[in-house]
Amino acid sequence: MSADPRRAKIDRRVLEWMREPRWNYSENRFEELALELFAFQFEHCEIYRRFCEGRSQTPNNVKTWRQIPAVPTSAFKEVELRCFPAEETAHCFRTSGTSTDVRGTLYLDTLEHYEASLLPTFRRFMFPEFQLPDDRATMRILAPSQIEQPDSSLSHMFGVVLDALGEPGSDFDVKNGELLFDRVLTVLVESAASEVPITLCGTAFAFVHLIDHMGQRGVLIGLPSASRIMETGGFKGRSREVPRTELYAELKRVLGIPAERIVNQYGMTELGSQFYDSVIRGPSEPRRKLGPPWARVVIVDPETGHEAATGQVGSIVVVDLANTGSVLSLRTGDLGRAVLDGFEVIGREPGADARGCSIGADMGLGRRSP
Amino acid sequence: MTPDEIAEHLARLRDAGEQLKRRPIGEVLDVLGAVLDGWRDPNSNWRRDLEERLPAATGFTAPLIREGLRRALGAWTGDALRELAICELGPFDALDAASDRRVSGFDTTAVLLAGSIPMPSLLALIAPLAVRSPVLAKPASRDLLTPRLVARSIAETDAELGRCIRVASFPASREDCTRALLEADCICATGSDATIAAVQSQVKPPRRLVLDGHRLSIATVVPPESAERRIDLAERLAVDIALWDQLGCLSPIAVFAVDPEPSHAAELAEAIAVALANAEKDWPRGSIDANTAHMIAQQRAEAELRRAAGRAVAVHVSDSTAWTVIVEDGPELRPAPLHRFIRVLPVADPESLLDAIRPLGPHLAAVAIEGFGEETPGLASALAELGASRICAPGSLQSPALDWRHGGRGVLAPLARYTDVEVPA
Repeated sequence: MSADPRRAKIDRRVLEWMREPRWNYSENRFEELALELFAFQFEHCEIYRRFCEGRSQTPNNVKTWRQIPAVPTSAFKEVELRCFPAEETAHCFRTSGTSTDVRGTLYLDTLEHYEASLLPTFRRFMFPEFQLPDDRATMRILAPSQIEQPDSSLSHMFGVVLDALGEPGSDFDVKNGELLFDRVLTVLVESAASEVPITLCGTAFAFVHLIDHMGQRGVLIGLPSASRIMETGGFKGRSREVPRTELYAELKRVLGIPAERIVNQYGMTELGSQFYDSVIRGPSEPRRKLGPPWARVVIVDPETGHEAATGQVGSIVVVDLANTGSVLSLRTGDLGRAVLDGFEVIGREPGADARGCSIGADMGLGRRSP
Repeated sequence: MTPDEIAEHLARLRDAGEQLKRRPIGEVLDVLGAVLDGWRDPNSNWRRDLEERLPAATGFTAPLIREGLRRALGAWTGDALRELAICELGPFDALDAASDRRVSGFDTTAVLLAGSIPMPSLLALIAPLAVRSPVLAKPASRDLLTPRLVARSIAETDAELGRCIRVASFPASREDCTRALLEADCICATGSDATIAAVQSQVKPPRRLVLDGHRLSIATVVPPESAERRIDLAERLAVDIALWDQLGCLSPIAVFAVDPEPSHAAELAEAIAVALANAEKDWPRGSIDANTAHMIAQQRAEAELRRAAGRAVAVHVSDSTAWTVIVEDGPELRPAPLHRFIRVLPVADPESLLDAIRPLGPHLAAVAIEGFGEETPGLASALAELGASRICAPGSLQSPALDWRHGGRGVLAPLARYTDVEVPA
């Protein structure tokens, strides 16, 4: 817990919310905490304060959480955004990237909020049928462990999930940077034979590798019907991209897991909370991203900076109370659209509006956009 | 459009080309010169038609299109075309007579267009005809209008030459149609580097390939000390930035302010901001999609944070995303969302400038320079060595001469076949 009494008080209230057994989407509670946290971060993060002052948005005139100035997630590559003394940094998460990319860094003085937020959210959207606190599932993680990649927030998340929700025998299946195909296939075949459902989690590109490998070996497996997949991440910097519909069709073909049981997780290093596809929790409802009560999304019209009209494509801005030590309002690099009580991620199309022959925004300019 | 229809187009063009080969080149150039003169005339039906219909087709605003065409076509006269032909191909009488260096066009030329700026399309379509090669044009998806109007203008000027140009529209995803188009004898393609690579991989040799991938331009200036001269320079830079919404290869993506005193770059940026605000009144920027607006907003916010972190960064923006001027604290290259988004990058001296822009060399089209005094020739040589094919004054980037050697090569010569006859008659 933070040594700063004001921060400690906010932290305690946020953690209480995260640990409540029943989710409470109270708008008033979110509003109150978000504005308090904004005021705290305004005071204690000098860079953020100057950023807000440059926009003439301060705790004096910001009246709702929707008005809290959002910093672009890409800024974590260039500036240190933290509300605590640097010497109190307990952990750093870094964004993924190649050796030549500039990587963003999230500085944390505690992992308490991160872990308190991720577990109930993962459980709610991946295992809505769980009734008891100690319900568990067999999970295989197609990603490196947090021991192998200590600065990866995703690996850390999977480690926490495995500890709390994994049956014995659950494990990471990427070691020394290699996906252990033989081991994964053995586990999958056992699952199919024993009719014990399995949950596979990993990056989208890890699943592409698995599909490719199974194709080369001519292997098709029909996993038990309650099996499910959580995939996350894009294909930036990868040798090829696979559209999500194609990926899901292939996963159904090689593993027998239909799209209704494949969940895309929307998260990022700079965020303490994550959002999940609604498909397992609400299979008959439109697929959309949903998150915990302490994190909200607003779709912003990038032209005006105001909230986009319903159904209009805009910038995804996340206001996340789990980000108590950094900045709670983040403008992501993604476009999205509001859908019912959630949202969908549209992604980005570099150069989509290239009407001329000039080089595009991300092309050859030394640094690339996030 | 089907592959068979494209093949039929090519067959008919080959037939029409037989007549074209027999026409004196001077006569062909007279026709094309008249076409160019017609396009220069703001009251011509073709020009009016283009100005009326291009906004809906491309998203550019009507005032911007009018101003862009006025500035660009001013010097594109019929006489300029004849001079270009003589310069690159040789005297007409020698070309037509049985000389010892014979010049002819290919039986067919396919032109794959890109973007939505009309002048490059106009020139790309008349150039093969100028060397007496029939043309099959594939319009860019963002401008289906210009190639058809150019074809119409040629047909209305000379029906026989009009039979030597056809337009084949099909989506880029139709690989079968693209393969059929690439059966032409000479292929000119403009587009992204990925498009160019895809064309190259599909062409069956022997074919003449004239390819143009991504290009960009920059400006590099010594900021004037006098306010009056600074405003004048800023206004000319704003013209270069605003015209065609910064989407052409001649649009500057950054202004390098060469001065040991960084505050001079900041003053110049302020003046550019004022000039862009004025340009927005005269020639409003066109529509943009959410993706582009998002990118502009992101880049603005990133710059604001750099400023908040204590770096010497300044951000000048319109209320909307219409224009953006960002003064950075060093010459580091950063993403360019275009659509009137310009960075002013301070750099201490010309040597540092060359170091900063070296990564751009392979993509460099033009550089607008000013204020270097007696260092100008040396800087121009260095920029040429880096890859720039045009060095001009600020304010004239968008008005290249007809004979500008885009990509560092000729306009007509790359489309021609030469035969040296070394035996006596």
